[in-house]
Formats: sequence, structure tokens, C-alpha cells
Amino acid sequence: MKRIGLSVAGGVVGILFFLPLLWVVTNSLRPGSETFANLDPLSWQTFFELRPTLVNYSALVSSEIGRATINSILVSAATVVIGLAVCATAAFGLAAFEFRGRGLVFGVVVLSFLVPFDAIAIPLSTMFRDWHLTNTFTGLVLPGIGNGMAIFLLRQFFLGIPAELVEAGRLDGLGWFGVFRWIYLPLSKPALIGAGLMLFLFQWQAYVWPLLIGTDAQHILGPVALSNLQGQNFTDYGLVFAGAVVLTVIPLVVIAGFQRYFVQSVSSTGLK
Amino acid sequence: MRQRQGLIALAFLAPALVCLAVLRIVPAISAVVESFYSESLLRGGRVFAGLGNYTDLLSSKDFRQSVGVTLLFTVLVNPIQVAVSFLLAVLFTQRAAGARLWRTLVILPIATPPAVSAVIWSVIYRPDGLANGVLERLGLPAQPFLTSPGQVLGSLIVLLSWIGVGYWMLFLIAGIQEIPAEVREAALLDGAGPWRRMVSVVLPLVRRPLAFVLVADTVSNLLVFAPVQILTKGGPNGNSNLLMYDVYNRAYAIGDIHVAQAEVVILVALTLAIVAGQFRLLRGDQ
Repeated sequence: MKRIGLSVAGGVVGILFFLPLLWVVTNSLRPGSETFANLDPLSWQTFFELRPTLVNYSALVSSEIGRATINSILVSAATVVIGLAVCATAAFGLAAFEFRGRGLVFGVVVLSFLVPFDAIAIPLSTMFRDWHLTNTFTGLVLPGIGNGMAIFLLRQFFLGIPAELVEAGRLDGLGWFGVFRWIYLPLSKPALIGAGLMLFLFQWQAYVWPLLIGTDAQHILGPVALSNLQGQNFTDYGLVFAGAVVLTVIPLVVIAGFQRYFVQSVSSTGLK
Repeated sequence: MRQRQGLIALAFLAPALVCLAVLRIVPAISAVVESFYSESLLRGGRVFAGLGNYTDLLSSKDFRQSVGVTLLFTVLVNPIQVAVSFLLAVLFTQRAAGARLWRTLVILPIATPPAVSAVIWSVIYRPDGLANGVLERLGLPAQPFLTSPGQVLGSLIVLLSWIGVGYWMLFLIAGIQEIPAEVREAALLDGAGPWRRMVSVVLPLVRRPLAFVLVADTVSNLLVFAPVQILTKGGPNGNSNLLMYDVYNRAYAIGDIHVAQAEVVILVALTLAIVAGQFRLLRGDQ
């Protein structure tokens, strides 16, 4: 009896959270002119479409949002690749060596992720303007690559790699970069994936920064393009919803593919 | 030897340190420095203004309203989100049919970028949108949501909770699952009811994740921007003019970059003060 009650409560909550997304998906499969047709009164057709059409999705391909989505993919991919290289080498520097000032450097890393990025986005954008980095991919990618949290996460993992392995590698004639490349990296796949996910989501979800720094047609990112469309007098909601679905499904697929590591990276931000 | 190690370590650290310094620490310092200057029309350059920008801000009625709205919003949104996340975490860690599926549905909105969620909800909140469709079905009158001074903050809180609750719930579920089974069984044997078990057993044992969620949630809610910029532009009558949006508006619509930097400093100081207060409170009753 109690279990049935709990199942029903869970089901109601789950469906309530899901309804907005279901409505978005349904309307992305309908011509934009019919978005508001099934709301008065509400019926099952509000949330289901028996004759789905892909017109919105084919319109998306040639629209600004299509282009912006490709930009988002490029910017996020570049951030993950460059960011992982920068963060993993830094984490190696902090984990594998004993040197004076290590505590200080580590302090700077922690301090850097305690300053919320969005709060400093506006002062930083004035600096980027002076450096002529507005409306460049460099300007969009740069803030994502130095991620203190990713360095922290990787360092924790690197600290667990036994010193004997490193010594053995050194005796076999590996240089320090060789130790990093052939011992640390292969042993750290889970941590690298977790950190990579963190870098990816930071860029994919960013809004303040791309709004400040990338607004021309060549450099606009997905969320900014979508919100631009929303503000116009005549809005094709079919297109808006198709764009929203694409911008949600891409990270969803990435998260689902690396689910195990996602939960790890989330729980390690809890600083246990 | 140690010195040599230091040099090699530095070589590995250099790219990241340059990034962190230039992209995080320098702009933070520059905001503080620039907040003490202002643009001089007469001399065509910047001049030292001391606390001028700060006194300008404090004497502005719009700014004071923005601070008030932000504090009201903070006091409302954080307890609501933490309480809902905790209740859902408790609900979804019970053994019940479909719990995994229902939990996934609550977590799903995490994948939607916040700005995209804001766009989706701007359509839901339209006068002829989904929200009023649901109300009508329930036999309730249509509501103005975003255009009503009394409802706009509440509407933003609902949207932000849809985005955020699943994320915070993940931390609390992890915390609850770490409670040793023996502790639960002991409480059951002692005849503690469900409510008693939650308050006296679960709640104290998830203090750490709970404290983390409260602090992180507060910080993220103090920086809320996309929903305000996309849905309300701070209106109606400044009733949703949260500080982060006010900073942006001042810097780019009004073009007063130095005063905007002063406002950034105030926003960060406010954030630190609230977070420090929470830490003290949480430690106080230990």
C-alpha cells in the first residue's frame, strides 16, 4: 500500500517535470501555426501528435539557429580538447612534483573557481574588446579552457597514481612528459572524461559570455540565436521548439553516453 | 633537486596559470580598480573618482530597488529549491515501482541550457500558452504571470526550479545513499516512524551535501541572468530587475561601464557575505 502511494507520488512529480519538454518535442513536430491550437481546452493532443512532420527540422538546417548550433559544437569541442590538455598538464604539475610554493599555486587554482565566472564576464569582456577578440572563435573558446574545477578534479585523481610506477618509468628512460603521456593519461580515463564533460557543459550552457562576445552571424552560438528569434514580432514557434530540442538532445546524448562519469564529476564538485 | 623539480612543474603548470590569471583573477581585480574611476567628458579619459561610483549607485532609487528585489528573491528561491530537492531525493530513494524512470524525468531538464529553458518558458507563460491552458483545465482563472508585478518573481522561481531542482537532487541522493544500512535498520527497530526517521536520522546525516547544495544554489541564484534578460527585461516596473541583469543593463544599455564595475563588486561582496553567513549558521548548530 505504502509502495503504491510512493510510486504514484513519484510518477506525478516525474510527469510534471517532463510535461514542458514533452510539449516542446510535440510542437517541434507540428507546423508553427498550430503551436497554440490545442491549448484551449487542453486535451491529449496538446502533448501528442499523430501526424508528425519534420518541416521545422528541415527549416532549421538553413536557418541561423542551424548555423549557431554548428558553432556551439565547434566551440565546445575545441574547449574540451584544448581545455583538457591545459588542465591535465597543470594537474600533473601539481600532483607529481614536490616544490616550494606548491600550496600557493594550488590556492590560486581553488581561488579561481571560487570567483563566479558570470560575475566577472562583464569586466573580462571589456578586456577582450581592447584585445580585438570580440566576434572571434578564440574569444569564445578562451574562457572555457582554464577551468580550476577540472584541474582540481584531475589532481585528486592523479594523486592516487603510485610513485613506484613513475620511478619505474623514469628508470626505463622516460622523460617527465613521457611519464605524463604514457603513465598518467592512460590510467586516468575516467577522470579525463569527467573533466571533459565539465568543460563541455560549461561551454554548451554558456549564455552571458557568448551574448557579450559573439553576436555577428558567423560567431553566434545556439542559445543566443534561439533567444534572438524569440524576441521578434513574428516568431515561428515550430522553429523555436525544433531548435530547443536540438540544443537539448546534443548534451543529453553526451551525458547519457558518459552517465557513469557524469555522476562522478557531479559528486566530486560536492567536495566530499 | 627540488628546485629543478620546481622548474619542470612550472613548465607543466604555466599554460593553466596564465589562463587562470588572465581570465579569472585579472578581470576580478580590474573590476575593483575600475570601479574607483570614471570617464571624464571634459578631459577625455578616465579620472579617479574614489567612492563616487558607489555613492551614485546607493543614491539611485532603481539600484536600491534592484538590491531589494534580489534579496527578496534570494530569501524565497533558495529555501524552496533546497527543500524541494531534499523531499524529492527522499522520495526517489524509497523502493517503489518506476522510481528510476521518474527520477530520470526530474533530472532531464539539466541537459537543457538555461537560456533555452528560458525561451521555452517564455512560450509557456504567454497569455495563450501552456500554463494558462493547464489552469483553465483545472477550472482556475488565467493568470498574467510575467506582466504582473506580484507574480513575476514567483514565475521566475518556478522556471528556475524546473531547471535546477534535478541537479541539486543528485547531490542529496548521493548523500542519502551513503547512509549505512545499519543506521536505517536500527531506527526502524526502535520503532521510529517515517517522519521521525527523516528528521532525526536522514537529515543530520546528509548535513554536508545539504550545506553544499544550499551554498552552491545561493551563489547560482544570485547570478541569475538569462531568464530575466529573455523573459522580463527586469520588468514590470523593475520587479524582476535582479542585480546581475541590472549590471548588464548598466554596462551595455546605459553604457556606464565604471558604475557597472562598482555594481559587480557589490554583487560579489553580497554573494560572499550571504555565503559566509550561511556557513556560520550551519556550523553554529552543530
